[in-house]
Amino acid sequence: MTDTTTMTVTPSPAAQATVLNLKHISKLYSGVAALSDVSVEIRSGEVHAILGENGAGKSTLMNVASGTAQPDGGSIVFDHETVTLTPTVAARLGIAIVFQHPAVLPDMTVLENLQVSLPGSVFEGGVDEEIAERMLDGVGLHVHLRDRVETLTVAQKHLLEIAKAFAIHPRVLILDEPTAPLGQRSVDLLFSRVRQAVADGVAVVYITHRLAEVRELAHRVTVLRDGELRGESEVADVTDDELLALIVGRQLESTFPPKHVAAAGDPVIFEVDGLSGDGCNDVSLTATRGQIIGVSGVAGNGQSEFLRALAGLSSFTGSVKVGGVAKSGHELLHEAAFMPADRHSEGLMMTLTVRENAAVAALQKFRGWWLLSRKKELGRVADTLQSLDVKAPSLDAEVSSLSGGNQQKVVMARTLLSEPQLVIADEPTQGVDVGARAEIYRILREVADSGIPVIVNSSDAKELEGLCDEVLVMSRGTVIETLRGPDVTEEMMISAAVSSTTSSFAAVESSGPSRVSTGGVRRFIQGDYAPSALLVAVIVVLGGFILTQNDRYLSAFNVSTVLLAVTALGFIALGQTVSLLLGGIDLSVGPLSGFLVVIASFFVNDKKPIVVIMVGLLLMVVVGVAVGLVNGSLIRFAKFTAIAATLTMYIALQGLSFVLRNGPGGYINANVVAVIQTTVGPIPVAFILLVAAALLAEFFLRRRRWGWRLRATGSDEESARRVGVKINRTVILGYILTSLFTVLGAVMLMGQIGVGDPSQGVGYTLSSITAVVLGGTSLLGGRGTFVGTLLGAVLITQLLNATTFLGLSTLWQYVFQGLLILVASVAYSFVRARRTRGSVRA
Amino acid sequence: MLTDVMKRDTNRLTTSRLRVAPGFVAIAIATIALFSVGGVLAPSSISHSAIIGMVPFAAVLAIAGLGQMLVVQQGGIDLSVAGGISLAVVISTHEPAGDSSKLGSAILMAVAFALAAGLVNGILVSLLRLNSIIATLGMNALLYGAVFAVSGGTPRSTTALLAAVAGGSTVGIPNAAFFAVAALIVVSVLTKKTVAGRRFEAIGANPAAARAVGLRVRVHQTLSFVWAQLLYCLAGVLLAGITNQPTAFQGDSLLLPSVAVVVLAGTSLLGGRGFPISTVIAALFLLQLQQFVLALGVDTSVQTLVQAIALAVGVSLYSVNWSSVRRRLFVRKPTQAIPA
Repeated sequence: MTDTTTMTVTPSPAAQATVLNLKHISKLYSGVAALSDVSVEIRSGEVHAILGENGAGKSTLMNVASGTAQPDGGSIVFDHETVTLTPTVAARLGIAIVFQHPAVLPDMTVLENLQVSLPGSVFEGGVDEEIAERMLDGVGLHVHLRDRVETLTVAQKHLLEIAKAFAIHPRVLILDEPTAPLGQRSVDLLFSRVRQAVADGVAVVYITHRLAEVRELAHRVTVLRDGELRGESEVADVTDDELLALIVGRQLESTFPPKHVAAAGDPVIFEVDGLSGDGCNDVSLTATRGQIIGVSGVAGNGQSEFLRALAGLSSFTGSVKVGGVAKSGHELLHEAAFMPADRHSEGLMMTLTVRENAAVAALQKFRGWWLLSRKKELGRVADTLQSLDVKAPSLDAEVSSLSGGNQQKVVMARTLLSEPQLVIADEPTQGVDVGARAEIYRILREVADSGIPVIVNSSDAKELEGLCDEVLVMSRGTVIETLRGPDVTEEMMISAAVSSTTSSFAAVESSGPSRVSTGGVRRFIQGDYAPSALLVAVIVVLGGFILTQNDRYLSAFNVSTVLLAVTALGFIALGQTVSLLLGGIDLSVGPLSGFLVVIASFFVNDKKPIVVIMVGLLLMVVVGVAVGLVNGSLIRFAKFTAIAATLTMYIALQGLSFVLRNGPGGYINANVVAVIQTTVGPIPVAFILLVAAALLAEFFLRRRRWGWRLRATGSDEESARRVGVKINRTVILGYILTSLFTVLGAVMLMGQIGVGDPSQGVGYTLSSITAVVLGGTSLLGGRGTFVGTLLGAVLITQLLNATTFLGLSTLWQYVFQGLLILVASVAYSFVRARRTRGSVRA
Repeated sequence: MLTDVMKRDTNRLTTSRLRVAPGFVAIAIATIALFSVGGVLAPSSISHSAIIGMVPFAAVLAIAGLGQMLVVQQGGIDLSVAGGISLAVVISTHEPAGDSSKLGSAILMAVAFALAAGLVNGILVSLLRLNSIIATLGMNALLYGAVFAVSGGTPRSTTALLAAVAGGSTVGIPNAAFFAVAALIVVSVLTKKTVAGRRFEAIGANPAAARAVGLRVRVHQTLSFVWAQLLYCLAGVLLAGITNQPTAFQGDSLLLPSVAVVVLAGTSLLGGRGFPISTVIAALFLLQLQQFVLALGVDTSVQTLVQAIALAVGVSLYSVNWSSVRRRLFVRKPTQAIPA
């Protein structure tokens, strides 16, 4: 990069006060010290770089500083006052953090992401759109405010996150490796924003792996190693070599097996030539028999992606030869054994036993005549586990009950049993105790000695130094250095990684300011309202067709009958929409509506005084709220799945209906029925109310914090929590709202059936889901519209009506409904899949 | 030498042939308790005639439940169980129209429909990535379309042969029970003792890990719906023989109970291991609960409530983190993390 010292900004003399003081901070994670006795002073008006290897404790320290993690020892002083930080307190004090993984809501638009994450005060005194545009311009993010965040590239999501941090005008701004995914132009813009903020007196904490960035931006630097403070200095007073010396030199207790002694005649057994894939670019290597190849670099620079491509888990170009034979991705998937970094999500079937996990890749070998031979399986599995010294209560213990080290050995046992042609280990010792580490190193070495190529990625350079014969150092997806023999040292690896100035090849093209935003038409097709437009078209065409067949179709009588029939389903479906937007489902709406009518049939009768009728209606509301409360609480507090919770409620409500009434009985007050069925011209008042309710709900969903929170929760619960949404409250209130809409639906149903009948209403569960899905609401949560739901309800009712008008049998009612829901959801999911695929490529 | 051998023996992991899932213990105890309490409080609930009357329906529910279990294992849910069973019922009553000789071809036709329905469900869910609720909801409507195409909505009496085979009994045991036991054995052996079955279970437990191992995740997910439909088909044909004049909507009443027995047996609705034996026992439990409440002379509606309570208790056994609840309730001091 450019000259190192000239670019630093001289801080104004006034802005040197310590604003955030971390004193003697310690933090333990399950007994292991992530930080011990670290003190850092963050001063306003300067950039303070935190430097260190992978796992040195940088991110932990910043989690403590931003209130995301609570320290186990030490104190935090903000403006001379000792404080206990939580994310809320930190936000109030003006501490903003940009995480390495952006907390964005994929299903919401750029504008909505800003609106839900930022306090309302940010948008005061102006039009939201204009203020938001200015925020995006400030970080050079050129996307349309109505673009869905899902369609943004990683770099753009990062810029959005940075824009959010600047928007609240923080006093302390923490940036955790912000440049990793960004292109050069965005980096320059970010740096100038940071310099400007610093000039305004903001204290900036800048976490990085890169010495060049420290030189370019920072005034002061603190180096961490193994969770301990290694040194602090003015950047101008320290040389690169001195910094490097502070970073490296970790102590490692583990012992390593002796390395491979290369002989001249060693055959080449593993060759990768120009491999490029998602996140890695033009990687080549050659390994001879007996070698272990290491992959090093700052975590997240394409190492894992490279390994995944080798394992056949993602597509790649370039050639891979094992034992001289070229292998396709498909062959690698079956022939290479991959040991994933994340044992929980990808490594093991946690609910299965040790035996089942170890055997899963080698089942063919245990086959007897045609069933599995228990003897063969037990023998081989027990032998292998024993040779790896796996400690477990028994072969039938659930693998989740084992320690991290023993779990990893089960993965290794699976690998060995499958007799692979290539072993790929991603972070093989992560979360593994010291004793087990040494054994894992020994096993990997034995595998390599037996002639199977072994490739290991590790964020721990010291480990690679001890284990590997050759190490590739990667930065931003490409190999920047290949170290061999005596050069395989921690110093060389770290020196190569921190001195790297390559910029992210993936980000360069996408974050340039000239990027054309998606066009208006495409945005509409990908937007939430496309399904609604489609439904309107179908409704009109279908109506037109029926009219050509039967001119009484648009008679006042038929119109009001159909619209009245829509109301019950419509209200219940609006309720169902809320649950689905949350990413849940409410199966109990049908029986609830029936149960509420049964309740009403005891109060809302002819000759009952008005007070009793009012009590009855009130009781319906109370029961509705209670049901929603129970559903939501079962889901959030008792951890029921939404289906299990509302299915239980379904059965219970059905039972209660039959407890109150054995059969139809209790005629509904004729006057009340008349009121419910009042019409203005051919249009029932109830239908007008339904439309009004849908529009009102839509308004709240799009324009009010309530709606943003609802969709944020359904879109990505973890991100929603991080931007400050109270998940439990949102979900429980959501289910209560579902039930309240169902109460309205029940009132309509009461008018239609006119009698308390315990067997009525149940069918609304499935038809409400149908209506919502037709309206384009995703069952995955986070996206959908109330208007679409309303149209879906209209279409279903119209279809039922159509079959009678066209003289079709019941058969067609079912066929049309089935086809409609399948065709619609396949079409919607197709549009959605295209979009996500497209954004991956961009 | 001797110490070496000793050491080796202690390190070797062992297994026992008799392995019991906690869910099995819970549902088995509950069922035994139900029969015992029934014997004391309402002896007629365990009378010979009551049991003989209950068992065929328990068998049908058990078979449908096994099908649902295979789908739930893969993280899905199958709402087309209602349409699948109803279609098998009407095909096996309407096609032969009382003529026993045509029963065979009718059953073949039902099987063909089941295969097609299962395959479409599977493709929609695992290849087109539809949510299983939507896909099977749509398929359910299509299956009911087929029900009306076959039957026109009117019930027809079953054939004598089917009534004898499905509704009859051998050595005092209803034949339907034999079918359920056979289905149980087939499902258990296939999932626990074959290569494909073990892979099927592994994929259900963690599809991402299964893919990393190189298993064909989508194929197995697709097939789960096919196996399920075949079992529904069996359940439907049996039901057609057990009931004298089955309606066109015979399967509707099995939709929720089929999910309930799977959940009661301890299979997570998020996917994972399936428990065939527990599922069958849970079916027996639910049906006997009905008998018990009937025998008590209480309104039948109470039985539905008891079902709901049983389901809530069953789910909470598996989903609530009881050890943390106990800690919160009974342990005053928070446990200190011990630095290693």
